[in-house]
Amino acid sequence: MPDGSYERPQQRQFNPYSENGGTILAIAGADFSVIAGDTRQSEGYSIQTRYAPKVFRLTERAVLAVNGFAADGNMFVKKVKQRLEWYRHAHAKDMPLRAIARLIQTMLYAQRFFPYYVYNILGGIEEDGTGAVYSFDPVGSYEREACRAAGAAQSLVQPFLDNQIYFKNQTPAPGTNHPTHLPLPDVLSIVIDSFTSATERHIEVGDGLEIYVVLAKGRSTQELASIGGLQELSTRAEGDRMFVIRRDLKKD
Amino acid sequence: MFLTRSEYDRGVNTFSPEGRLFQVEYAIEAIKLGSTTVGVKTPEGVVLAVEKRVQSPLLESSSIEKIMEIDGHLGCAMSGLTADARTMIDHARVTSQNHAFTYDERIKVESVTQAVCDLALRFGESVHDEDAMMSRPFGVALLIAGIDELGPQLFHTDPSGTFVRYEAKAIGSGSEAAQTELQDKWHSQMTLREAQTLTLRVLKQVMEEKLDHHNVQLAQVTPQAGFEILDEVRLKEIVDAM
Amino acid sequence: MATASAYRSPGFDFSNEIRNNFLSERGVPLPKATSTGTTIVGCLFKDGIVLGADTRATEGPIVADKNCEKIHFITDSIRCCGAGTAADTEFTTAMISSNMELHALSTGRKPRVVTAMTMLKQYLFRHQGQVGAALVLGGVDATGPHLFTIHPHGSTDKLPYVTMGSGSLAAMAVFEAGWRPNMERAEALDLVTTAVSAGIFNDLGSGSNVDACVITASHTEMLRNYVKPNERVQKERSYGFRRGTTAWKSESIRQMVVEEDITFIAPEAMDTS
Repeated sequence: MPDGSYERPQQRQFNPYSENGGTILAIAGADFSVIAGDTRQSEGYSIQTRYAPKVFRLTERAVLAVNGFAADGNMFVKKVKQRLEWYRHAHAKDMPLRAIARLIQTMLYAQRFFPYYVYNILGGIEEDGTGAVYSFDPVGSYEREACRAAGAAQSLVQPFLDNQIYFKNQTPAPGTNHPTHLPLPDVLSIVIDSFTSATERHIEVGDGLEIYVVLAKGRSTQELASIGGLQELSTRAEGDRMFVIRRDLKKD
Repeated sequence: MFLTRSEYDRGVNTFSPEGRLFQVEYAIEAIKLGSTTVGVKTPEGVVLAVEKRVQSPLLESSSIEKIMEIDGHLGCAMSGLTADARTMIDHARVTSQNHAFTYDERIKVESVTQAVCDLALRFGESVHDEDAMMSRPFGVALLIAGIDELGPQLFHTDPSGTFVRYEAKAIGSGSEAAQTELQDKWHSQMTLREAQTLTLRVLKQVMEEKLDHHNVQLAQVTPQAGFEILDEVRLKEIVDAM
Repeated sequence: MATASAYRSPGFDFSNEIRNNFLSERGVPLPKATSTGTTIVGCLFKDGIVLGADTRATEGPIVADKNCEKIHFITDSIRCCGAGTAADTEFTTAMISSNMELHALSTGRKPRVVTAMTMLKQYLFRHQGQVGAALVLGGVDATGPHLFTIHPHGSTDKLPYVTMGSGSLAAMAVFEAGWRPNMERAEALDLVTTAVSAGIFNDLGSGSNVDACVITASHTEMLRNYVKPNERVQKERSYGFRRGTTAWKSESIRQMVVEEDITFIAPEAMDTS
């Protein structure tokens, strides 16, 4: 119109979110926890980087994996770490795992109407020495579980985990029962196979794999001795111990 | 201290040339007018006891409330201007609930004490063009008792916002005599029962009236039952056995 | 219906068009077609044409086929790489291949690359981009080597080196850096391999192996899986299941062998009256 107004209502939209692919997963054992993620970050058909970590060490006994919109994920981890530091100063101790889980819920729900576009999986050792995995939706609904996959290849990996970890659709041999927790070497094999398989069939998964292993205090590290690409992250040998395993994945 | 009294005792945020905040010091004096309050820590839990001054036979002694719950694992006894304690305990309760809400765990005794003391120092604070929330220091001291992962603990706070951990502590008008008695009688391996009788004995010594289950109040924090104010039946039993 | 007949018009059947439009308005999306989100390339060299393609087929972000063939046969000395909707590229090239054979039969000559190009572009133009085929057409005929790209709407280019598909930018970067006129066969094959590899590793729509095809006046060499840089890695565990793992609710065994008794009767004389 001559006065500068529009004849019809106009609509403009800005989408602040993006989706950066990749997959994360975590499995809890009786006295250990394994948290893993691939390292590819992509947008559309392009690879932004072949090495962008999605799994982060929070404390001596807690690891957080974030997946979804990378910018939100990185910011969220940064803010969680800041809250952990404040807590340490205020209460003179590291935040326990279940407290971190609840904190993450409150932080996510605070953004209920402008959410962090991120799926979180928290893994580590509880105060009672058991391995634990907590999974979250983007607005803070959470649950403690034995295993969880999230991200681009969730639909490929979770059914596999349901079958191999929870023994879904597998009847035990007569007179036997399925174990509630698998031993560490079995868990590591399942994690690696999950990622190599997801890499085969999902275009956004690949490049590199980072597996964090948290062992409860006093637990033997024997089973990790033969694992290639292992690096210890814990600062002291007493207490809980943390390791990271880095592997290559296919790059196509 | 009244000898050095000067114009410097007018403002709550003005130091005297000797480096003193008179209003805070006066607030600490106010506690010495309050009823005697005793706290004792043992490996089995913490005991709090207060004297209730029943000034009139017409007064309902059960309406005097000098021990309050902060949370399931935290209790608090007061001496001084008890009305001021309401604000502090409200703050402590909110802090404790907030902690449980955010972290799904019980707040530590020291943390809740710290939070109360942070509030105690907030007198005279005001943002530009805004009335100060509190115009003067609190005229009350608290004994905060509780149990957390570090075990049973007892903290003392005063109007200056200072807090110290004690094995056993007495505050209020009879505190000097009471504290001497506590120092004499307290030992590290006390049972909860021994602590109950000790606090009552100490109170009895400094009270003008004859101690009975109407003019004292007893509370405890134990790992089993958390914070509880003992009812008259249980209190009477301890008083009688004393 | 009185008008019902066995006659069906040739070409596409649009009878579900109205129903499908109605459904998509109601929020029922069309089924996702397999697409060859692809890297396909071609380049001219001294003696002819080299074509190259990756072997990944996708359905959205899922890899539908890890080793599909994207270099399609047109004639002995003409091949066509396809990107876009898999069904469209396969059907279109197969149809044009048939028509080229018929054309060769009726003219009695070896058909030319331009002929295939013209048939393809006319077909694609006629369907207004609805046939989602993006093609790289190359071959050698009586007039020499020719290399074309054909876009889904029917436009074409004739160039000495071309790329198409989602990995086209990655591949073209390689061509722009490395292509020279009159390259040797080995050089050209190497360049094509590098170009397709650039797509395989840098474009998520492309992956797995490199297929190549070298066409010269005298010979066409199809190099299926010329390079395999993405072999499947060994699994950590074997996932066999114990017999009896699957639960069942009831059991019934059906006799599949049908027994029948054959009784021979004295043959009757054939009626020849």
